[in-house]
Amino acid sequence: MWSISDKGEREFTGGKEDWAAVAHIAENCPGFKPDDEDEMVADEAVSCYNCRYRRWTIKSFVCCK
Amino acid sequence: MKIYIGIDDTDSLEFGATGQSANELRRIIKDKGWGEPEPVTRHQLLLHPDIPYTSHNSSMCFTVEMKEDNLKEFIDCAAEFLKETSAPGSDPGLCVAVNERIKDIDELMSFGFKAKVEILNKEEAYKTAEDCGIHLSEHGGTGQGVIGALAGIGLRMTGNDGRFQGRTKLKDTGESMGIGDIIATTEIEEVQSIDGHVLTDDEILIIGDKIKTVLLDGKRKLLVYRENDGWHTCNNQHIKNY
Ligand code: SF4
Repeated sequence: MWSISDKGEREFTGGKEDWAAVAHIAENCPGFKPDDEDEMVADEAVSCYNCRYRRWTIKSFVCCK
Repeated sequence: MKIYIGIDDTDSLEFGATGQSANELRRIIKDKGWGEPEPVTRHQLLLHPDIPYTSHNSSMCFTVEMKEDNLKEFIDCAAEFLKETSAPGSDPGLCVAVNERIKDIDELMSFGFKAKVEILNKEEAYKTAEDCGIHLSEHGGTGQGVIGALAGIGLRMTGNDGRFQGRTKLKDTGESMGIGDIIATTEIEEVQSIDGHVLTDDEILIIGDKIKTVLLDGKRKLLVYRENDGWHTCNNQHIKNY
């Protein structure tokens, strides 16, 4: 589910459209923090795609927590 | 005169949001009696490992009618505001363009489009700002935010990029509304399907959750999709590429 990038960052391997998987991860993640409303992309409120600590990459995102 | 204000990179991973900074600047303009700012648009720029964006690499822009007499004071005030309030570790940039004095609108819009697909540097941003005769300044950190601040204005000027900040309140989820009613009672100027069909006033829309609007053809538009013989408002997932 995660790969380690060249920079040592944890990148999600499911890309930008795996809505169910990232909702599941975030629901079980103590680090989840909702991002600013304008930066939310998932319809599930609790989702890595809506988390303050995800930073978008070309194909997916890295978790910076 | 109409001025465009673009800001970028005022937040960090932990603190702040560039959209909130833009809104604070709008509030200052109103409180000082300098003008009635238009809504903020958010413009997505290139996501690339070589771009050191602090959190999203998106830029914020809004416009306001302002008197010449207030312009210098506004720029000084905005610069001070960004310096004082931007998150530690952020790289804020400010761009202010007087519409009627932009020397090369094509170059400015082209810079905006390039920032969505290419890695640009500060020198290119300052050169474009100088060519176009517009204000560009940095207010902390690496000042990398000048690229997005300038690009945000270029993209807003195209009239075909970005989504509006915040949500639009229509009726409750699941309720219906006529298009004519939506246009008459909200800031939405047109309702259009994702593939470009503009709905007429007598058509009916089923309202969904979390309504966002986008900037297309110079208008604030609500995007919709067709399902089960009815029109539905697009959700976040539908408009994530705007
Ligand atoms: S992005 Fe990271 S911190 Fe945020 S919910 Fe996902 S795993 Fe947790």
